[in-house]
Amino acid sequence: MVAPRALDIYESFDRFASGKKVREDTWDYVTVPTNALAMKEKYNIDFDNKIIPEDDDLADRLFLAGIEMLACTGFYNTNLGRALSISEEEILEGIKKAPNKIKMGRGNERVACKTRKGNSKRKPIIQGGPTGAPVSEEIFPHMMQSYAQEAAVDTLVSGVLNTVSGRPATTNTPWEIRATLAEIRYVREACSMVGRPGMGI
Amino acid sequence: MNMIAGWATANDIIMMEQMPIFGGYSGGVEETAICDVATMLASFALFDCDIHLDGPIHIRWGTTTTRETLQIAAHAAAALDRNTDLLLANQYYTLAGPCTEMCLLEVAAQAITDTASGRELISGSASSKGVVKDRTTGMEARMMGEAAAAAAGMEIQEINRILDNLVSSYRGYYSKPPAGKRFQDCYDIKEIRPTDEYLDIYDKALKALINYGVYV
Repeated sequence: MVAPRALDIYESFDRFASGKKVREDTWDYVTVPTNALAMKEKYNIDFDNKIIPEDDDLADRLFLAGIEMLACTGFYNTNLGRALSISEEEILEGIKKAPNKIKMGRGNERVACKTRKGNSKRKPIIQGGPTGAPVSEEIFPHMMQSYAQEAAVDTLVSGVLNTVSGRPATTNTPWEIRATLAEIRYVREACSMVGRPGMGI
Repeated sequence: MNMIAGWATANDIIMMEQMPIFGGYSGGVEETAICDVATMLASFALFDCDIHLDGPIHIRWGTTTTRETLQIAAHAAAALDRNTDLLLANQYYTLAGPCTEMCLLEVAAQAITDTASGRELISGSASSKGVVKDRTTGMEARMMGEAAAAAAGMEIQEINRILDNLVSSYRGYYSKPPAGKRFQDCYDIKEIRPTDEYLDIYDKALKALINYGVYV
């Protein structure tokens, strides 16, 4: 049966809240590995030591295995200790609403991230940065500038400030907020220093 | 989920990050890839995501550049690329540190893999597994971009042959990877210019890639 509509974050929350109670260790040690192995066997998934699949049918079977894995297993919410259920039809309806193109940045630095197909001759968007690695406060803008100045880089991803005003940016404290805002300022400053103030960050 | 509700209602672009662990609860490479596909689908179907940021990671080495984690990332991306128009990204965690040839070759191997398997955005690199302070630089991102540009459009069979050799060139160093240098030790901080030493190492990595058949 077709799905009445795609889920949104509100309906997902409601489904988690009314979902089946499951122990986290049962989910981790039994539910996920048992179902993943069953999908591997059902869809005959074998990578044959290839890094990138050369067999289109294998890629298609893996897609079907992933859909059935999600539909038969659901999704676990560790905070609530409950698992949500979603049907295959709802999964397919849900991915229809996702964009096939997004734009990042502004002005001359605006880039479009669009669907590629296979190994298209159009390279992916290059997002440069420490990707969440810890960075000293003293060198943070300099390090970000080293990414922003690279011609190959289209957008930036930030690192994590190790301290802010000399204080540790501890999670769930006001210093975490100050550090986050400082990171954004430093990244913007790095973009401006290399004449790319509109880079997506 | 509260924060997603705010972003979704404001129509912000939402990038959802998820890093499947190879060697953990899921099982082998195939089972981990099945879970990766399922979780990517969930990101879009349950959490209003616009672009998904993957990052299959090796439980023993803590990196995304091993043969197994590249296999998982490539198969999962290809499965979704062939059957949907979803926007897929991947992130980079190398074992070696900046200012080493191994670090640059790890980045290149993943950039080639991600490009050839149809991903739309690549994000990195967190060198030294992203856990050592000040051990990432813009030169690794330059390599990411150059390797991706060189790999775009190549035949998959040729890419697989190159990757077999490229990954084999560094996998013997997993137990003792070169730590490399801090950003402040491989860049002139005032000029934000990589040192001659790093430029020489970068040149060597480019030559190695050309020898493997990647014309950067």
